[in-house]
Amino acid sequence: MTETILDIRDLAIAYRVAQGEMRAVDGASLAVPAGTITGLVGESGCGKTTLARALTRVMPGNARLAGGQALFAGRDLMTLPEAEMNRLRWREIAFVPQSAMNSLDPVYRVGTQLREVLVGRGGMDRRRARARAEELFGMVGIEPRRLGDYPHQFSGGMRQRVAIALALALGPRLVIADEPVTALDVIVQRQILDQLLELQKGLGLSVILVTHDISVVAYVCDRVAVMYAGQVVEAGDVRTVLTRPAHPYTMGLCNAFPHLDGARGVLTPIEGAPPDLLAPPPGCRFAPRCPFAVDACRRQAPPVQAIGGTHLAACHRIAEAEALRARAARVETWAAMAETVA
Amino acid sequence: MSGMRQIAGRLAQLVFVLWAVATILFLMFRLMPGNPLAAYIDPTFTEEQQRILMARFGLDRPLWEQYLIYLANLLRGDLGDSFFYRQPVFDRIMELLPNTLVLTFSSLIIAYGFGIVVGAWLAWARGGLAERIVIPVVLTTRAMPEFWLGMVLLAIFSFWLGWFPAGGTRPPGAEYDSLLALYASRDFLSHLALPVLTLAIYSQGLPLLLMRSNMLEVMREDFVTMARIKGLPRWRVVVLHAARNALLPVATSFAIAVGYQIQGNVVVETVFSWPGLGRELVNAVSASDYPLAQGAFLMIAAVVVVMNLIADLLYGILDPRVSHA
Amino acid sequence: MPEAMDASPGAAAGGLAGRLWRGLRLPLGDPLAVFGLMIYVLFILTAVFADQLATHDPTEILYTPDYDLAADRRPGEDGYILGTTSLGRDIWSQLVYGSRSALLIGLTAAVMVALIGTLVGLVAGYFGGWVDAVLMRLADIAFGIPFLPFVIVLSAFLEPSIWNVVLAMALVLWRDTGRVIRSQVLSLRTRAYVEAARVCGSSDLKIVFRHIAPNILPLSFLYGSIAIGWAILTEASISFLGFGDPDTISWGTMLQDAYASQALSTRAFHWFVPPGLCIILVVVAGFLVSRGYEEILFPKLKE
Ligand SMILES: Nc1ncnc2c1ncn2[C@@H]1O[C@H](COP(=O)(O)OP(=O)(O)O)[C@@H](O)[C@H]1O
Ligand code: SF4
Ligand SMILES: [Mg+2]
Repeated sequence: MTETILDIRDLAIAYRVAQGEMRAVDGASLAVPAGTITGLVGESGCGKTTLARALTRVMPGNARLAGGQALFAGRDLMTLPEAEMNRLRWREIAFVPQSAMNSLDPVYRVGTQLREVLVGRGGMDRRRARARAEELFGMVGIEPRRLGDYPHQFSGGMRQRVAIALALALGPRLVIADEPVTALDVIVQRQILDQLLELQKGLGLSVILVTHDISVVAYVCDRVAVMYAGQVVEAGDVRTVLTRPAHPYTMGLCNAFPHLDGARGVLTPIEGAPPDLLAPPPGCRFAPRCPFAVDACRRQAPPVQAIGGTHLAACHRIAEAEALRARAARVETWAAMAETVA
Repeated sequence: MSGMRQIAGRLAQLVFVLWAVATILFLMFRLMPGNPLAAYIDPTFTEEQQRILMARFGLDRPLWEQYLIYLANLLRGDLGDSFFYRQPVFDRIMELLPNTLVLTFSSLIIAYGFGIVVGAWLAWARGGLAERIVIPVVLTTRAMPEFWLGMVLLAIFSFWLGWFPAGGTRPPGAEYDSLLALYASRDFLSHLALPVLTLAIYSQGLPLLLMRSNMLEVMREDFVTMARIKGLPRWRVVVLHAARNALLPVATSFAIAVGYQIQGNVVVETVFSWPGLGRELVNAVSASDYPLAQGAFLMIAAVVVVMNLIADLLYGILDPRVSHA
Repeated sequence: MPEAMDASPGAAAGGLAGRLWRGLRLPLGDPLAVFGLMIYVLFILTAVFADQLATHDPTEILYTPDYDLAADRRPGEDGYILGTTSLGRDIWSQLVYGSRSALLIGLTAAVMVALIGTLVGLVAGYFGGWVDAVLMRLADIAFGIPFLPFVIVLSAFLEPSIWNVVLAMALVLWRDTGRVIRSQVLSLRTRAYVEAARVCGSSDLKIVFRHIAPNILPLSFLYGSIAIGWAILTEASISFLGFGDPDTISWGTMLQDAYASQALSTRAFHWFVPPGLCIILVVVAGFLVSRGYEEILFPKLKE
């Protein structure tokens, strides 16, 4: 049994919007074992970024913690005094954003931006910072002379490597990567993911990898948590969850994506759109789109249940998972939903 | 390199605009009603004397020939002789230009320093009471007629409180060894204070509002959020990242403001009897000293056009996305 | 066919008038802009009812019952609301009548600048090619002309008149409006409904006026509302420098009169402060209204 580096319990984050309060994350729970890559996967808008950003406690001005905990090495990040939280930032918890283009300051050379964290947050002198910057560039496969270039002079893939180098600068224990390869083409995606995997194994890092792409999860993750409408609906190790999903939403997601290694079955989208988080449906939030929904689903929210080992899912029909999987593999099952939803 | 080509293109545009402005001016001065020499010619002059004078200024030739001579003279920096001072216009302008530049630059430097700092601060403290007070005040300063502001300041600080002299650059009769000696003197500074204050109050609004809105925009950028996620100190995030980026267009606007201010100086120099290019233009036009008026106008236009060009180039230099393309 | 394809905003209801009215999109949602509009209304009412509001003939030289000059009266003294000038004219009445020239100059200049700028921008942006090239070179030249000196020289040659300012603005200040509208048209041109109209064979003129113009109208009003202030400020400057029409009562000529009559050294604040405040009020109103339009046009600024 490995140690758990991050234990998120019933986390809720709300945004203040014109129409009221919207809980973008609403009772999400997730455990991240140390030294693994844990995928956080779900459709766009299900609250992945909100959750990831909440862990840094740098959130949009209208966001508010609405409940829950996030225990990092036993300490609750959500209630840590700001000064202590700031000590953890980047030294312990680093972040790789989706678009390195926008997250690197356009007016400074990348070397300067590396030095900024090495000196300012790592306490190195300039000479050691220089050596470390070169070392980091070596680690992510960029020539050290490019430290003198500006962000816009790099290609998309290279910039993402720069972002990874930046994240690793101070040797953090946890790296949160929010859609780190989404903006890239498939070949570059693979290169970056290979790089990430290699570094993670070599350094024994714990990584939370946020993505909407289940094939990325299949390619690099050890564990996965599936998010839907602000909640984690299924979690477990990647092999189990992807080959024997217990939640119909996961089954649908697996149908909807091609595999990164090229093997592809028939792609079937999940019909409809995620619910309005201002007024989520009662009961199971997936019920309006679920081909297996029964009356109980619409009345009562399904509890998270253990299926075996670390495999968890929140569905009333977990017991029938085997049969549902067989039905979910058929295109007609989902196509039938198209009319209901529309 | 495309950068060089671009600069060459902009230079060609500058020459074209200057030529066009010079031509428009020529046409205005020659085609407008009235004899351009009216102010020069004494009623006692005989027909013969008048004819000789016309010939001396080349006014007896066909228009196109006059135009070519005018352009050729311009290229040589020959702006003709002032009717009033009986000295080359060019020399007269060169005497006055430093006074105008001192006034312009000192007021703009103060205005930009103030505007940038306050604008950045307002963006930082957005949505607060400060914003609701400062912004209407700033809009009001932008809406003031500059000369009126000068009048009010003069009435209060000079005529009423007697803190500052009422006009000019030096006390009557004071002489200095050189321009530099004059500019470094206390007297000069006390004469400079009110006109500079007037222009600075008027000019700070642009950089202030520009800085504020740029800051608000930049603060929404991912790299600012990332700087916070990196745990960088707040001042670093605000000053070195947000403000540094927001400053780019503000710096560019400085060059444009110089050109704008030079034309606006016409009124403020008049209020404060400041011996600069703007007041000279007004006096020359009033006195029908056309060569001088024409020369002062062209000089002001040249500053405007050059400053617009510098603004363009400055952006390229300051923004690595352009300079390191 | 083009009717059926028409998907441009506001196409569904009403003729040209309705289209224009909706194109105006008065910024009534923004309290500051509403405040600006209220200043405009107040100012227009003053100009219209100047005869009723004024207590004296603004140009009349006033005497006391015993035939002394009623000069340099302080506000309220002898019943002169804002006092009198050093020549014995009633300042309040001048101020009231000054709103007439301000209104006249402001509105005509705004209309000229907005109209010329909009036309230039529309034509340059829509037709492109050499038309665009020529118009934009003209704009370059206009940007090279120092505006105030230009007005001075122009005023020196023409008969003194408040219309010189309007003429100069029409000749030079269309440049900003023209450039901005051109770039807006360039982006609108590529929008789907314009493409659709073109494919369906609408004529150029029809596309420009039915589909593009209504969308840039708020932009024209934005620049128009700024031009009102500009015109009033410029007229004041020109009058102050002595190139205005001495027979017209304007806030600018009032200030010139005060300056030339040593009102500064006699500290006659009641003479030269009110016209300045009136100018500020009207110009600020223009700023507020234009900001209102900006928020309609570029909503992200509001956030
Ligand atoms: N600053 C914000 N204010 C209001 N709503 C927001 C804000 N940021 C995100 N949201 C909303 O919260 C929901 C979750 O967003 P996000 O966490 O970005 O999802 P994901 O990363 O999974 O795509 C979305 O509906 C999104 O529109
Ligand atoms: S609880 Fe019901 S509605 Fe929800 S996923 Fe399971 S079967 Fe579908
Ligand atoms: Mg996201």
